[in-house]
Amino acid sequence: MPSQTKLVSLEEAAEMIHDGDTVALGGHTLRRHPMALVRQIVRSGKRDLHLQGWNNGIDMDLLIGAGCARVVETSYIGMGHLGLARNLRRWAERGALEVYEHSETTAIDMFRAGSMGLTFLPTLTPVGSDLLRANPRLTECRCPFTGRRYAAVRAAEPDVALLHAHRADRYGNVQLDAARWNDSSLDPVIARAARTVIVTVEEIVEEDVIVRDRTLTVLPRSFVTAVVEAPYGAHPTACDARYAYDLDHLGLYYEASRSEEAFRAYLEEWVWGVPSHARYLEKLGPDRLRAITPREEDR
Amino acid sequence: MIPRYTVSELMAVAVSRELRDGDHAFVGLGTGGRAFVNAVGVPSVGIELARRRGLDVVAQYGVLYEPDLAHPPRCFADPYLIRWPAKAHVAVDEGLDTFRRGTITVSFISGAQIDPYGNLNSVAIGPDHRRPEVRLTGPIAQTDHAVYAGRTIIILPHARRTFVPRVDFISAVGYLGGPGDRERLGLPGGGPSVVITDLAVLRFHPVTRRMELESVHPGVTIQQVAEATGFEVVPPREVPATLPPSPEELRLIREEIDPHGIWLGGGAR
Repeated sequence: MPSQTKLVSLEEAAEMIHDGDTVALGGHTLRRHPMALVRQIVRSGKRDLHLQGWNNGIDMDLLIGAGCARVVETSYIGMGHLGLARNLRRWAERGALEVYEHSETTAIDMFRAGSMGLTFLPTLTPVGSDLLRANPRLTECRCPFTGRRYAAVRAAEPDVALLHAHRADRYGNVQLDAARWNDSSLDPVIARAARTVIVTVEEIVEEDVIVRDRTLTVLPRSFVTAVVEAPYGAHPTACDARYAYDLDHLGLYYEASRSEEAFRAYLEEWVWGVPSHARYLEKLGPDRLRAITPREEDR
Repeated sequence: MIPRYTVSELMAVAVSRELRDGDHAFVGLGTGGRAFVNAVGVPSVGIELARRRGLDVVAQYGVLYEPDLAHPPRCFADPYLIRWPAKAHVAVDEGLDTFRRGTITVSFISGAQIDPYGNLNSVAIGPDHRRPEVRLTGPIAQTDHAVYAGRTIIILPHARRTFVPRVDFISAVGYLGGPGDRERLGLPGGGPSVVITDLAVLRFHPVTRRMELESVHPGVTIQQVAEATGFEVVPPREVPATLPPSPEELRLIREEIDPHGIWLGGGAR
């Protein structure tokens, strides 16, 4: 029996997500977030999503600003050096968004627990802090052997995990380049906690390429539901050695997120008004993409 | 004659004097922009100064162990960050487990609010967390630093809205309500040891655990510090001036550690 292909379009992938789903997002701050999928979720008008991550930025801020999110659960949503996430601010400050407060390691532990098939993991991290009263996923517990005080982190079991990676074959064996920044090393753990796993990749390659560099495989196909080819699919966030974050576009986004009206205009121009990822890249233009891509000799 | 120096140089030198032989220091690389100099630049130059004074200090930057602090990337975007020479580049969960393992002896933190017991808030301003007046970024890894690190060095811009009698949300624990609270909860780390600001150095009283003024930077008055602090912080004794950088420390910073101003001059992108 041959391997089953898992290659789908971005549009088909987004239809695997349903209103009200718990959706985990890979990536870290402004690096390697599944932005092509995020924009497709906005285009397809998903609602009431419960978003999970361990350290997030424009990915969650965009979904919040587009009205797709009801709950966000992570340790950080910010725009890196640009400043605070303004859609998060607006929605949280008017009480329209529930935020579960995590430390980086309690967020990591919820995915670790889920990936191990456990219902919780013990940690000391939130003990004494207000995270315990501002996160339903955390509660106090005791060590059954020593009686030591701990907090329990309830496992995450996302309906869907969305990741962006460097390459995969059509069967869903996903690889990351050796030249990578390891803040995104949690992506496979997030995937292994989820029921449905959608991975966009910079390139779909032949099976023999995967076989040749098998130590680079971070997710074997058993863990992957669908793969989508989406070059520059993390734009405007960074994609390890392949491209840097797009400071110009992030700046434009940040300015637009200053008000509800300006942000709607941004969504109209860059998401709703651009029917596909291919058209989004056309709109960015080759010069912009060249500007964020290091020359071969610099990689 | 003592040469002129910047407040960031003074703060970096103050950091270097806090470090000890054998320290394993943790610096977060997450912050950029205005906060970068305080959160990353000042600790980095402080660590490198301490190392050049002969102290063996292991510096961990999240996933990186012992990056070459005298040759930081000009741009902290990933394609350049990845090429920064270092002794190890580990998975992030492994890097953060070093906290829980008790390996980290000293770490650097900050926040939007701090109270007299060194509790920090980077989550939200206002009495109601469900509907805050200002929503901030979130706890990040500061909760971990605060619970596990052997001691924390807190670096902050000194302002009355930052130094408040009570933080609106504790996202990183200090000494909580006072003496004995950390011990009662079984928190393994030692808690905050010092606060270094652009005006002064403040330390926590060994018995009361309250923050109090240790020294004011040259040119700064005690009155200025009192006005920029929302709680009583001036002790009933003479407060000396912070020791300024020596000519040799300034030469090291300017010629060898940070010649391009990437750490202290806001030269990083």
